[in-house]
Amino acid sequence: MDEPIWLKFIVAFVIMNVLLVGMAYMTYFERKVLAAFQDRMGPTRTGPKGLLQPLADGAKLLGKEDLIPGSADKWVFFFAPLVVFVTAITSVAVIPFGTSFDVAGQTINMTIADLNIGALFVLAISSVGVYGIILGAWASSNRYSLLGGLRAAAQVVSYEIILGLSLVGIFILTGSLNLGDIVAEQSRTLSIGPFEISNWFILSQPLAFVLFLIAAVAETNRAPFDLPEAETELVSGFHTEYSAFRFSFYFLGEYIAMIVMSLFASTLFLGGTDGPGSDSHVLLGILWLLLKTILFLFFYVWLRATLPRFRYDQLMGIAWKVLLPLVLLNIVVTAAVRLAVNS
Amino acid sequence: MPWDLIIFYMLAAVCIAAALGVVVATNPVHSAIFLVLCFFNVAGVFVMMGAEFLAVIQVIVYTGAILVLLLFVLMLVNPDDLPEFHQGKPVQRVVGGLLGLILLLEIAIAILNREVVGVTGTATPEAIAAVGGNTQAIGRLLFSDYLLAFEVVSLVLTVGVIGAIVLALPERLGEKVVQRKGTISLGHARGVDMEALGEGTPEGEAPILSGRGGFAKASGGRKLVMTNDPDEYTGA
Amino acid sequence: MGELGVEHFLSLSAALFIIGMMGVLIRRNILIIFMCVELMLTAANISLIAFGWQMHSLDGQVFVLFTIAIAAAEAAVGLAIILALSRRVHTVDVAEIHELRD
Repeated sequence: MDEPIWLKFIVAFVIMNVLLVGMAYMTYFERKVLAAFQDRMGPTRTGPKGLLQPLADGAKLLGKEDLIPGSADKWVFFFAPLVVFVTAITSVAVIPFGTSFDVAGQTINMTIADLNIGALFVLAISSVGVYGIILGAWASSNRYSLLGGLRAAAQVVSYEIILGLSLVGIFILTGSLNLGDIVAEQSRTLSIGPFEISNWFILSQPLAFVLFLIAAVAETNRAPFDLPEAETELVSGFHTEYSAFRFSFYFLGEYIAMIVMSLFASTLFLGGTDGPGSDSHVLLGILWLLLKTILFLFFYVWLRATLPRFRYDQLMGIAWKVLLPLVLLNIVVTAAVRLAVNS
Repeated sequence: MPWDLIIFYMLAAVCIAAALGVVVATNPVHSAIFLVLCFFNVAGVFVMMGAEFLAVIQVIVYTGAILVLLLFVLMLVNPDDLPEFHQGKPVQRVVGGLLGLILLLEIAIAILNREVVGVTGTATPEAIAAVGGNTQAIGRLLFSDYLLAFEVVSLVLTVGVIGAIVLALPERLGEKVVQRKGTISLGHARGVDMEALGEGTPEGEAPILSGRGGFAKASGGRKLVMTNDPDEYTGA
Repeated sequence: MGELGVEHFLSLSAALFIIGMMGVLIRRNILIIFMCVELMLTAANISLIAFGWQMHSLDGQVFVLFTIAIAAAEAAVGLAIILALSRRVHTVDVAEIHELRD
């Protein structure tokens, strides 16, 4: 390691704090944007323009009574929400926030863990997040929670396949699983006719982009795929029995998963930190990444405001009968094109 | 002490403790959770041996898919059907543990007295890094020397999927899994007009259905019939 | 002690295998027996990769890739069998499942 460990800890600490504040204000962002879609105001009273609303929400949730069902398994009940929360935050470790810059003779790497298998790491960690749902549903010792949890888990596992396979096209084009390499590949400029544009994978893999977005929305159990936790069905699904801060772990874990998926999508399809001026200034690169992430987060909220919910069998039918053949087709076509271009 | 040795001992200790937890836990869901913990640490051990691609595959496939499937089946199987853990004589468990310990010592002796036999291969860390990493090296090997095995394994997986679906289907397609035992209805044959109710509920008595006689009184004198099918009762 | 060598990994593999074997012999719940079989398979995977690491050969890792794929197929089919079986005899105790036909 060329970098001392304490420096990595500092970078990790900063990134984690920014992520947590971002998650808190994501709730505010969603409420304001939903309100704008629904022609109303959203939070306006707590602080200027309602900006202190997340703090008020947090204080309220902390003050609520923590109920544990009598026949619940206490240890599993305690750990299940933490699994969702921790796995979501851990996935941020491989996202490249830039290349590296020198401060006072010390090189600071802008990726906490520059793994050779970075893209698969995010998929692996998010697949462990399913346990939070299943174990939380089971530990509630409530039949309806169990059913809701099993449905949510089956949905997440099915869409995970689509998520992973939609990235195979990118891996074929890049030849590497390293997220830093993928960003570097997208920074190359292509000249198409008189235009010079960056080689963003949204241009060369449009079908994979659409499939990835659909799968990302389904992975995080967001509308229109949120039947397992919808308030009107199954009495709020697998987190029915959770109250106060435990519930907020699930709730916030979902928002962090949204942010991580948006970061991941920006890195893989929109070039990550790539943008005008990002080669010279690291901060501009971070700004571009944040803007792209906010774009995807807006897309998430837009979907929630606009589309009705899918029924569970429709949801699973779409994954296995429509999206899976499409994603396999994408892989075959990408491989064929790459083979033809290379020979 | 070098760092990799310390990390290996930590990972191995958690692995073995979790494996013991799998065998000893009374609640099968606790066993499954311990198994997840064990496999996660095994993935860490894989990384220590330079097999990073396999570590991620272990997490995605084993913990993220196979054990999730196992948990599904555990939760769908009726918990009343679980056998008692402490049936059988305690001497069996003690003797079993002792036997396991003796076998472990034998294997440990065999490991420590072994000699290296065989040809050293060409995949040194420098050669792997030259190809582009662990994943790329495995990919090259997989699609050149082991291509036939790769295709056969994909066939096996396809057959596995089909087999699992066929086994989990209901007995006969089209027949509902839930069997209706019967229906309870007021004696009212289909397609027959009923006369108006008689007295109805006598005053002072609760009209709700409670106890045997209460039914007949509340229904105004009509009898209760149990049939397998609503169409069976024709008023006879 | 000293350097991290193959013996460390092989000892871990042996310990996991023995624990899995004891689990298969002692426990009566068929799903826990299944979990212990997976534990034994994982122990074999560890020793395959350990030998590959020592001999600078990637064949061990390719073997393990195939082993994991086959274990996935076996898990799917085995669990489907267990589910179908438990629907019929309404128990998962291996001591009760001793008749070939109803």
